[in-house]
Order: sequence, then structure tokens, then C-alpha cells
Amino acid sequence: MVLCMKPSLAIDFMGIKLKNPVLTASGAFGYGYELADLIPLNKLGAILTKTITLEPKSGNLQPRIAEVSSGLLNSIGLQNIGAKAFIKEPLENLSKVGLPIIVSVAGSCVKEYVQTVEILSAQDTISAIELNLSCPNLKKKIVCHDLPLTQEVIKSVKKVSKVPVIVKLSPLVTDIAELSLCAQNAGANGITLANTYPAMAIDVKTFKYKLSTAKGGLSGACVKPMSVRCVYDAYQNIDIPIVGCGGIETGEDVLEFMLAGARVVSVGSASLVSPKILIKIISEIEKVLKEKNIKDIREVVGMLNTTKNAC
Amino acid sequence: MCTLKRFDITCKIISNKEVCTNYFELKIKAGSIAKYCLPGQFFMIGVPGVFLRRPISVYDSKKSVLSFLYKVVGKGTGILSRMRSGQLQILGPLGKGYDLEICKDLNYVAVAGGTGIASLHFLAIKLGKNKPYKKKGTLYYGARSKKDLLCLDKFKEIGWKVVVSTEDGSKGYKGYITDILEKKVKDSDVLFACGPMPMLKKVVQIAKGKKVKGFASLEEKMACGVGNCQGCAVNINGAIKMTCKDGPVFKIEEVNL
Repeated sequence: MVLCMKPSLAIDFMGIKLKNPVLTASGAFGYGYELADLIPLNKLGAILTKTITLEPKSGNLQPRIAEVSSGLLNSIGLQNIGAKAFIKEPLENLSKVGLPIIVSVAGSCVKEYVQTVEILSAQDTISAIELNLSCPNLKKKIVCHDLPLTQEVIKSVKKVSKVPVIVKLSPLVTDIAELSLCAQNAGANGITLANTYPAMAIDVKTFKYKLSTAKGGLSGACVKPMSVRCVYDAYQNIDIPIVGCGGIETGEDVLEFMLAGARVVSVGSASLVSPKILIKIISEIEKVLKEKNIKDIREVVGMLNTTKNAC
Repeated sequence: MCTLKRFDITCKIISNKEVCTNYFELKIKAGSIAKYCLPGQFFMIGVPGVFLRRPISVYDSKKSVLSFLYKVVGKGTGILSRMRSGQLQILGPLGKGYDLEICKDLNYVAVAGGTGIASLHFLAIKLGKNKPYKKKGTLYYGARSKKDLLCLDKFKEIGWKVVVSTEDGSKGYKGYITDILEKKVKDSDVLFACGPMPMLKKVVQIAKGKKVKGFASLEEKMACGVGNCQGCAVNINGAIKMTCKDGPVFKIEEVNL
């Protein structure tokens, strides 16, 4: 008789072996190693860093964050130390954790994306790159809203990258399934769905915007159903794996994304509120799988998403 | 000064009393965490019903009890103020606090505005308890009116001289506390300032003008409290620093407000 067999959470993602499907989300976990004293980082599936650009960026003016009902608006402006500084101390520290490392990358033009990926993907300790094509904080038009440019960035990066390339898309597009297919056709190895939602808030006490840039990106529990929908629609159209992202706070939330088609997930805003929630989420996934008598988490991926829907 | 020990744990509320209109003192059972706290450090306190935790400075830390003094300013602090018992999720102690070493040779002067008094109260207690710091300090404390002045008796108990100003003149000097500070502060003093931005701006200007050393505790909107979200950026000596991680206490001469 088998008594309460522990379900397997191990999952293969773009050829990278993960002990579980829980990743940190870009922008919510710094350079990845800073909270080693607060949580056992090596229990995570992989660490996804904040977005790195070719040159250092000082970010936007204050205020950069604003709380809204069940969520968070941000307009950080991609503040980071730049690729060359990142591969020194931060990457060395992060490598000591012993987990697969995925580095988020953004650029202001195709050349910048390519140069940054060239530097980063040459590092032995980096397992994959996530292209941030959807940061809604830059004043210029976001890459995702320009289909030929999206394809050009992916194709150009793929030519130089020595590691798999994930493409993180903005949810604010006419057809997320079509955009995902377009990314796949350009050579993406995986898709992250979705980035934050363009949004804004105004302080009626002061008659001022709550963010210095007026508009920012919305994340947190309030966006989860919209991101689950993005995953569901894209899964029907593509063959490459999906990173589900948006408002995950519990193990049940993770399974919701996976049932819709995500292969792995990334947790952002919830880990800003409480870092230890990342570890709690992993044990909750195990609990739900046990209750459902599912022995292997891979069975769950896309389980509910087997038929094409009209809309 | 900062401690490297920080905790993300659940603590029991001991009491949460209104000390005067709209100001509350929260006491929680924090076990061994209390001994790791330094003046100027803060905790991110989870409040049920709002998404983000609230950054609140340590007001006092005795044995296993941590105290916080806060004003009800919005939804989060409103909900917190109605909690009489139960448990709270806390993350901390966080950030860098005041440097006490400098006090050995200088006269210490604290400048507080509003609930900025909380971290300076903890500072005064720590200075009072440590032998090298023999001198008694002076507190310059500004508030809107008499009813907004907190814990003056506590500063007097530990032998501090207290100078008060109110904007409406209901107690002490009528006007801003920085007007008095400007006349009194000397280069043999070390300043510790915590309060609203207009007050801090003026304190920094005075300190730089008179070449007085000191520290300012800054406040910015923050989501995580540990440097990960980079929401609370501030310009320190021409470089971008995080209020939560690199501060909230910075050297006055390096602050550009």
C-alpha cells in the first residue's frame, strides 16, 4: 500500500531542469540573492532577476509606487546597474544559490537588446534570458505594440544568445494568442504571460497623479484573472512553454495558471509583501496535488485547455 | 547602524491604544527580535484588508516587546488602529538607523516633527542606557497644535531638555520648530532629525549652513522595505539610493532634498 506519496513538482522548462515550477518575477526580487537571510532561496524553481539594460539606469522620479485595491501600481523606470556591473558581484552572489538563473533584459533599440544578451548569455551561470518587450514604463512606444519590431528583436537576439530566450509580453494587445505565435515564429523558446497592465491612479485629496509618470504598470491579486485568460488563449496557439505571471499569492493560484496552460509561473507582487510567501506557495502546491491524488505536476499543464474555443 | 538579523514572522498584539486623538501606540510580543532593533530602524507591518505592508519606525523595544507609535492617516493605519488583539505579520528590523558613535564627543540634538518623534524616542532611550553617552540631549519638537504633541514626559523623564513649537501657538513657540533650531544649534552639536519633508528640508539647510553634523531619517512610499522593488529611491550625494535599505537614516551632509 502506498501511503501519501509525495507528488513530484519537478518540471523541465526549455531543457532546464527545475525542482518545482515557482520562479521569482522580474522586478520583484532585485538581483536575486539579497533575501538569502530571510528565505531558503534554493527551494525555489529558478530565480528571475530584475531587468538589466546595457548601461546603468537611474529610473524614474518619485513617487514610483502606489497602492490600489488588491494591487500595486509601479513606475520604477528599469533602475539597474547595467550589464557589465551585474555580471560581477551580483551574478557571482546569485550563482552561489545553486539554482537556474534567468536574467530579464530590456533595451531602447534592437542593437541594445542584442549587445546586452551577448554579454549576459556568455556567462556560464546564466540559464536563460527573458526579453522584457512590454515594460509599460518607458515613455516611448513599447516593443510589443510594433509587430515587425517585436520579431526583429527576437530574431536578432536569438542569433547571438547562447541560452534559451523567453519573451515577456504585454497583456494590452488586441490578440495575445496571435502575438504569442508571432514570438514563437521569430524563434522564442518560451513566453511569459503577462507583464503588468498599463494603468493609472489619481489622488483626489491633492489632485495629483499617484505616480510621477502619471501611468504605470498594475500588478497584484487584481490582475490574476486577466493573466490566466492570456495564458489560456496563448496556450491554444503555440507549442513553446509559457511562464504564467500575474497576481499569484497561493499554491492554488499557481495551479490555476498551470491548468490554463502555463508550464511554470513567476511570483512578483506577493513576494514584495512577504518574501516567505514563495516558500509557502511551493508547499501549498504539494498539498493540493496530494488532495487531488496527482502524482506529477506535469500532468496539470494545460489539463483544462484541450479544446479550441470560439472566443 | 544596521543589524543583519531580520525576520518575516507573525507576532501577537499585546495592546494597541490611542494615546491621543488619532495617534496610537501598538505593542507586540516579538520574542528575541526586540533585541536586534536599533533606533531609526523600522518594520513592514501587514494590515489585513490592504495589499502592502506599512513601514513603521520602532518607538521602543524592551525585552520581548516591540512598540510602534503611529498616526491614522489612511485606510491601512485606520484598520490597524481598530485591531485590539490578534496577530500581525511583521518583517524587520529593516534599514540603517542613527549612528550613535558620533554622540560620544558632541551634544546631541533631536529635531522631530509629528510622528517623527517615534524613532527619536527610541534613540533617546538607547543613548540614556549606554554609558559612553553621558550628556543629556535637547529635543526640538514641532507639531500643528498642543494635541499633536506626543510623549514629552518620556523625554523629560530621561533628563532631556524639551523645546516645543506649535503652528497654532497652543503650546510653546508659535511657528515652526526649525525657526528656533536655526538660532540655537551650534557646530558642537550633532543633529538627529525625523519628520515631514518640509521640516527635513529646512533642517538639512540649517545643518549644511552651520556645518553641523548629523543624521536625517527620510520617508518615501515603499512596497517591500528590503530594496527589491526600488520604489523608494532617493538622491544621496548624487547617487540613487533606496530609502528602505540604504536608509532611512542618512548623513545630513549627503542628503539633497
